[in-house]
Amino acid sequence: MDWSEQRYWDDVEEGADVPAVAFPLSVYRLVVEAGANRDFNSIHHNSEYARASGAPEMYANTGFLLGMWERMVREFIGLGGGIRRIAGFRMRRFNTVGGTVVVRGRVKSKRREAGEALVELEVWSELAGETTVGPGIVTVALPVRS
Amino acid sequence: MADDWTAAWQPVVDAVGGDFGGEAVEGADAVDASALRRFLEPLEFDCPLHHEDGVAPISSYFTFVAPPIWRPGGGSAFTSDERDAQPEGVGVRRFLTGLEPPHTGYFAADFEIEPLLPVVLGDRLTRAGRKLVGCELKETSVGRGAFMTWEWEARNQRHEVVARFRNTMFVYNGPED
Repeated sequence: MDWSEQRYWDDVEEGADVPAVAFPLSVYRLVVEAGANRDFNSIHHNSEYARASGAPEMYANTGFLLGMWERMVREFIGLGGGIRRIAGFRMRRFNTVGGTVVVRGRVKSKRREAGEALVELEVWSELAGETTVGPGIVTVALPVRS
Repeated sequence: MADDWTAAWQPVVDAVGGDFGGEAVEGADAVDASALRRFLEPLEFDCPLHHEDGVAPISSYFTFVAPPIWRPGGGSAFTSDERDAQPEGVGVRRFLTGLEPPHTGYFAADFEIEPLLPVVLGDRLTRAGRKLVGCELKETSVGRGAFMTWEWEARNQRHEVVARFRNTMFVYNGPED
């Protein structure tokens, strides 16, 4: 990722794709994540416990999944952009260990509002081709060229 | 009766609109460089805003308002050697009214965040307010329970609101119960 490059509001086109980011989920990674974001609910790092709760396997926690969205969005808006709101972050299916979560996005709309140049990104997560989180809307502000 | 489980949840349904926040809950740790680095590590998130400038990712706010599992003088949290025993008091992180019927599990279902101010190195966050704004009863593949929706906010050590949150938890009884 080249963080010296900056995307501008003027150059964003409605309907354009946001470059996807993939997150392979191993037990190792889920354990590191639990320690990092302090969500120690055993459903996120203990297969037996997760299965007893009704889930098919241990699965990624909210902070991890939200962080995946933030990373993809930040890589799209660059250092000069700002995240104004994340909504519709609905976890529809379990993002289970042994799969790869792919976060995808698309430019839904752009507008000027209250002195800011805003873009609405439709964002969602997929696992094995199915949508597991979202689609939600991440509203971002971008710098303007002129 | 098959419908008894919904009656057990009625007090919670009736409590929608109430604020169950009590005292503000302080996060376990201040925002420091090691916590930020650990947060970014499993995400492989190399943005210099976070690694070099010390700005916390928005997705980490929920982490920095999470209370400790154990704190000095607070009594023992790890009281059982059962393999899957859960620490005492860990439910502090869970959002409950105290009116819920017995339940066996919970998970997050929906999340919304409106960041208002940056959170940076040295900040100490607290979770304030906890208003129950929805309670939808539902039987799912994992059990019977309620999707409970809450609104709350995070404040920094200057009592400034840094973000507003709206989250939904499914609190349920597994099918074996």
